[in-house]
Amino acid sequence: MQRRGFLKWLVSCLAVINGLILGIPFIGTLLSSAATRGKAAWSRVGAVDRLPLGVPVEVRFQSSGTEAYFHRSDLNSVWIIMHSRGDATVFSPVCTHLGCHFTWNQQHGRFECPCHASVFALDGTVLYGPAPRRLDTLPAKIEKGVLYVEYERFQVGTPEKKVI
Amino acid sequence: MMSHMLKWINERWPLDAVIRATLEEDIVGGSRYVYTLGSAVFIVFVLQAASGVMQLFFYVPTVDHAYDSISFLRTRVPFGWLIHGLHYWGANIMVVLVVLHMARVFIWGAYKKPRELTWLMGVTLLLTTMVFSFTGAPLHWDQRGYWAGEVGTSIAGTAPVVGDLIKRFLRGGQEMGQLTLSRFFAVHTMILPASLAALFGIHITAMRRFGSVGPWNETGRSTSGPFWPDQVYKDAVSGTLVLFLLIGLAVFLPPSYSGKADVLDTSYVPKPEWNFLFLYQALKYFQGVLEPVGTVGVPTLLVLLMIILPFVDRNPQRDPFKRPIAMLCGLLFAGAIGGLTIIGYLSPGVAEAPVISVGKTSGQAQPAGTAVTDREEGARRGSQVFKSSGCSGCHRAGGEGGTIGPELSATTLSARDRQWLIDQIRTPKSHFPNTIMPPYSGLSGQEVSDLVDYLLGLAGTASASPAAPSQAPEEAPPAKSAAGESRDTQFIQERLPGPAAYVIGSAGHGEELFRRNCSSCHGPGGTGGVRNPGSEEGTVPSLHPIDSELFSAEAQQFAENIDKYIQHGSSPAGSGPALSMPAFGDTHSLTQQEIAGIEAYVLRLNGVDRGQLVNPGMAPRKFFVLAAVLYAVLFLVQGGLRLRKDIP
Repeated sequence: MQRRGFLKWLVSCLAVINGLILGIPFIGTLLSSAATRGKAAWSRVGAVDRLPLGVPVEVRFQSSGTEAYFHRSDLNSVWIIMHSRGDATVFSPVCTHLGCHFTWNQQHGRFECPCHASVFALDGTVLYGPAPRRLDTLPAKIEKGVLYVEYERFQVGTPEKKVI
Repeated sequence: MMSHMLKWINERWPLDAVIRATLEEDIVGGSRYVYTLGSAVFIVFVLQAASGVMQLFFYVPTVDHAYDSISFLRTRVPFGWLIHGLHYWGANIMVVLVVLHMARVFIWGAYKKPRELTWLMGVTLLLTTMVFSFTGAPLHWDQRGYWAGEVGTSIAGTAPVVGDLIKRFLRGGQEMGQLTLSRFFAVHTMILPASLAALFGIHITAMRRFGSVGPWNETGRSTSGPFWPDQVYKDAVSGTLVLFLLIGLAVFLPPSYSGKADVLDTSYVPKPEWNFLFLYQALKYFQGVLEPVGTVGVPTLLVLLMIILPFVDRNPQRDPFKRPIAMLCGLLFAGAIGGLTIIGYLSPGVAEAPVISVGKTSGQAQPAGTAVTDREEGARRGSQVFKSSGCSGCHRAGGEGGTIGPELSATTLSARDRQWLIDQIRTPKSHFPNTIMPPYSGLSGQEVSDLVDYLLGLAGTASASPAAPSQAPEEAPPAKSAAGESRDTQFIQERLPGPAAYVIGSAGHGEELFRRNCSSCHGPGGTGGVRNPGSEEGTVPSLHPIDSELFSAEAQQFAENIDKYIQHGSSPAGSGPALSMPAFGDTHSLTQQEIAGIEAYVLRLNGVDRGQLVNPGMAPRKFFVLAAVLYAVLFLVQGGLRLRKDIP
């Protein structure tokens, strides 16, 4: 190999190595999830002894959380269906399709998502529309008439329910 | 002096050569206005860069402050309304101009060999413009932008295999939040402008390599004209027209406030910007396992069609009348996108799903025998619930009560059974979808049962007889002294307004929120007149017109005045008012964003614009007239000169 060819080869090597030394960490920075959430803690939603039985009710509650460099208390909401005084189903308010918040249509007795017309039954199963899976239930417990939930978020758009 | 300086520079830098290379070009067939579309795109890009940099002097890219910093720029910075308005409308016009330019190139057959690379760069420019549009909206962190970002990034997440990675890359995590905003900010203000400038460079260099394509018929091609100054003059005229149009749009159609991003507000119906409506509509036709076909397949197909166009259509014929298949395909392509856009625009946005019969669920609300005890005892308690829960504010029963709702008597109640009444109290919309009666989901099963006992009792008695419930007033809540009441009101006034008072909400959306939360007591459109027995005034205060002590022509002051009441609630003066204002903010029954929307609506009812310009620099309309006069004067002067010096 002549000197000139060797120098060309060396310049290419340096360019590739420099590119990798900077490129890999930079891309890693952008691909990693810096905003990882800890395991959701039990949040106090409130007393549920006044909620009607069998009818979904949207309840808002405050819970503190950390998002990037903000630590603050946020308002969250859940849909609660009381089966009896001690037994409730709690749905995440997020549509499993693309993450919009759904509402309850009392007239037709079903949940409807305003974004892309997904429709869910009272038990959360998909009746119509593009949603890939039933509504997500949240872990919940009732102690002394007070409902607590673990406010988790789930991957949207996938057939399987996966906590994020 | 000047020539000396130019000589000095030219000895050190090839200024003359660069200027010659830029301006010296012969255009086949001469200059034309239809060729100005491309340069209009470039002019708007420069305008976007300028107005974008101006916004950067004020914009703060955090979820806490993004929305308010733009509101501040728009209302309190001199000419901030102009800067933001130009940037907003410029973004829309740029998409329009790029599409028109591409249509022009298609009709003229200018994508054909040897101009394939120019066309490909053009397609890339279109895509970059769309990404600009997509990343720009969430920077506002308003309802419109937030949901466009949420749904847009979720759509990317449905791509097979790499979807989740792309979504996380776009969001900077699994969820929309601060890191998403930072990413969109970096991409929109640094990466895309640099890319677009580079693409413009390649696109224009490629175009210059073979020159303008010129007319398609031979006779038209026999002549030619110079780029400078003939075509540049036409470019300048159309660029000026576009600028004037943008100023007009900024003045007469300022972008609306859609309210600060609020994930809890389910009454907001997200819908994409007009230039993404075709995708939004196309997405609706692909469901279930086919979904990625709609979210990823359709856009990829559209882009692929544009990319392969110059390689598939290799017929050198450029006359649009002699290549019917190409023109038909182009028309179909444009028609499909245009049609989808229109259908998407007209679609109400809310669920259009067919009604599938599912067992009515409310029947399970009260398992038999849960709460019913002694009917008479229940009716007695129910008559108190009737007053304390505010029913009597709207419904006349037993000879007293309001008139906003139907009178509750034997005539109106006899056809109703227990379950119907329970449903009506819990979820009034189940019977009357348009009712203004609020759902009383806060009442316990026992209270509802008592109330129903009371109502069924009324159904059994003659409406004229005020029999059973008349004893209730004596058992009403203990009357507070007038002094105590006024102290309460005083207390409210000393309390501070909440955060909502300083956020410019969406009056349009506030109207919907008002209908849901406020109109049952304040009357439809806030016109008042709802009876409030036991209060000094006897009715719930009207908000339209509003109490003169609360009114202020200054939007900020006005919002602060009413915010105290919405945040902290208040109890009207009187011996025992049936209705009192709930503390919507303190109890979190409304978010601050929702309150801001309701405030903007109440202000609008009273003729005050919440987005009122506090420091406009110059009144927008005045500015428009001034600009128009300047252009008109120049137009007249040049016309005069043309006549005098006989210039064609």
